Amino acid sequence: MKILLAEDDKNIATIAKLALEQFGSHQVDHASDGQIALEMALSGDYDLILLDEMMPKLNGLSVCHQYKVQSPSPSPIIFLSAKSQEADLDEFRRCSMGFITKPFDPLKICSQIASILDAGRAAA
Amino acid sequence: MSSIRSRLVVIFIVTLTLVGGGGGLAFDAFQNYAHFNNELDFSYQITDQLQTLNHRRLTEEQSLWLKETLSKVHQPERHQILKDLEAAYANRASRTAQSRIDFFLRNEAEYRNFLRSSISYYEERLVYWGLLALGSAVLVVLFTLAFLQIAVFSELKSLSRKMVDFLHHRYTYQFSLPPPTEVGHLQATFNSMAQRVLVQMQELQALDKAKSDFLSIASHELRTPLTSIKGSLSLLRAGVVGELNEASNNLMEIAENETDRLIRLINDLLDLAKIEARKLPLSPQWEPLAELVESTFQALQGLAETSKVTLQLKDPTPMEVYMDRDRIQQVLTNLVSNAIKYSPEKGTVTVSFDVNPQEEIVISVTDQGQGIAPEDQELIFQKFRQATGPKNPLVKGTGLGLAIARALVEEHQGHIDVKSSPGQGCSFFFTLPKWRFSLKTHSQMDQAA
Repeated sequence: MKILLAEDDKNIATIAKLALEQFGSHQVDHASDGQIALEMALSGDYDLILLDEMMPKLNGLSVCHQYKVQSPSPSPIIFLSAKSQEADLDEFRRCSMGFITKPFDPLKICSQIASILDAGRAAA
Repeated sequence: MSSIRSRLVVIFIVTLTLVGGGGGLAFDAFQNYAHFNNELDFSYQITDQLQTLNHRRLTEEQSLWLKETLSKVHQPERHQILKDLEAAYANRASRTAQSRIDFFLRNEAEYRNFLRSSISYYEERLVYWGLLALGSAVLVVLFTLAFLQIAVFSELKSLSRKMVDFLHHRYTYQFSLPPPTEVGHLQATFNSMAQRVLVQMQELQALDKAKSDFLSIASHELRTPLTSIKGSLSLLRAGVVGELNEASNNLMEIAENETDRLIRLINDLLDLAKIEARKLPLSPQWEPLAELVESTFQALQGLAETSKVTLQLKDPTPMEVYMDRDRIQQVLTNLVSNAIKYSPEKGTVTVSFDVNPQEEIVISVTDQGQGIAPEDQELIFQKFRQATGPKNPLVKGTGLGLAIARALVEEHQGHIDVKSSPGQGCSFFFTLPKWRFSLKTHSQMDQAA
């Protein structure tokens, strides 16, 4: 899969990228803030977008909303977030396929993504 | 002086003057009226008796009556005539006696005319002053009631309405200028109190927001570096950058375990802070209790097997409890994992349900460990505390599990406690107030029948 990883923390981005490439053999592009992520998501042809919630310039939810409005055929979105309050999680559920909570386990991230996508396809 | 008391005193004095003055004059008129009425009766009596007298001589009885009447008649003229009459009888001067009798009777008729006019005069005065006193008394009562209504009752009513608003957390408080009375003073005091409460509430809201902000910043700022550390360690251990030798692997394992511990600690702390700040809204539903216990057992099966402890659910009476499933599972997980950690090898951890006299459901988790000394039993529910002793080595944990369990149970309007004596194991139990026997089982029983 071709994945866009939007994550402002360089370290976490490095780990996630490494895990996705190593264990899932995915091709990963990295965006370091919300603005860049939105531009890349709209111009590139990605199979999946992994969005961090807290990012400078544009937060994950705004990127998600704007992307879905502006893109002719939006790709699935999965949130990466340290937030665990129910209200936030509900918000994620409303506008995306699902979410992976931080701290995530890099060894499991590929299977987590796969199961979220499967559940999303089953629901659709 | 415009206090209610001083006004009531003024009203009282005016009342006393009006009612007392009018009443006094009316009483005076009544006394005169009664006196002249008696005089009139007396005059008729004398007249009647005199008409029966013989002018020549008196009987013994008549002579006594004359003497007595003389003592009762005080007007000098009337007294003199009767005295002359007595003397005439004594001198046997019958002609004089007759003339005295006739004269007295004529005089008496005139006297009665005077009496009648006096009586009607005092009658008028009695009615006049009496009505005045009565009327002013009624007016004063009405005026007092009106005054009390305006100055006291309506003010108290509006004040109590404001207090009730406060009591029900409606803080749209209207500060009005209180009247300079006792009730006004009460209102002014309440105003200052209300103002202070409102200010403090704003401060509390600001503090609450600061706490929320802190929680959200802390969860992000603490978890982000931990995510990197934990992730890097996992990848290294998984051999992403090449195989590690045994020593490196051991060190890496220590680092990873301690990172896990730190993550657990932070999660527990943030949970506790959220519960205490009431930022953890419960979403309670009717949930079957036995299933919850079974799924808790399943999650802890690994830990139980490593510790060689058996998990047992005793008499699973089918019942449903109104609870936030995830939160009560957190409580149960805390209690059961504690029980496993403190159990001896081949021990059993038992979960059972019961209903207490307060009609609450009691869920107990019993182990066969060393037990907890009475002095430690309250302490263990506090943050960062474990009961330690020679027989109780410090067990790995954050020391927050029971504090979280207690906060969660109390959020469900239940309570949590422990029964134990050293060496006898211990039984942690918590209560939940809303439960019912499972309807599902009734239908199953119907099917079986």
